[in-house]
Amino acid sequence: MSKPKMRARLKSLSFSEKIKILEKLRDRSEKIAASGLRRKEIDLTPAHIQKNE
Amino acid sequence: MKATLEAINQMQADGVIGKYAIGGAVGATFYLEPAATVDLDIFVTLPTASGGLLLSLAPIYEYLKSRGGKIEDEYIVIGDWPVQFLPPSNDLEQEAVAEAVSTTVESVPTWVMSAEHLVAIALRIGRSKDHNRILQFVEQDAVNREKLQSILERNGLTAKWKQFERKYLEGTHE
Repeated sequence: MSKPKMRARLKSLSFSEKIKILEKLRDRSEKIAASGLRRKEIDLTPAHIQKNE
Repeated sequence: MKATLEAINQMQADGVIGKYAIGGAVGATFYLEPAATVDLDIFVTLPTASGGLLLSLAPIYEYLKSRGGKIEDEYIVIGDWPVQFLPPSNDLEQEAVAEAVSTTVESVPTWVMSAEHLVAIALRIGRSKDHNRILQFVEQDAVNREKLQSILERNGLTAKWKQFERKYLEGTHE
């Protein structure tokens, strides 16, 4: 299915169905956060680089 | 979400809160494709205590805590959703609650702000995520332009909207 068609389909879902998707997205995001898979911010300040050399 | 809304409706029936409306990302999801969010924004009118002028959220927190709600920072977790209760802080938000649209979530009745009020509030707040949401409403043709203009005029947001249009919508064929 093309992206615009998918977006239109998602938009046309009932509020209850959309809420279920929101809950799945939220749960997935929480699992990713808990697993530590989320990319850590890289500190590129000169002080940090010097300290880790 | 069903348990969350049932608890909020019960709180309304018990007179702890007055009329309420879902706003923020969950409110926008009523009109748009679902977008990830972690919390539920409930704009809520509070009954004023006789003689009291200050509006306090304390009765909401006390009521929900006594029924198993857990406070986490500015949220109270009801069911499995962190909820932020927001008393309307200006005429626009008051109007948005008063004119909210009734709907249901899994047969539980609830109210959601109109698309035009959600756009006007997002414009007033003006963070980049609010601008993104406005663009979604425009791109997905989910907003009545006449109704929006009237809300913007009533709430002194016309200049801000023109600025938004110049920045984000100029050159697009809406």
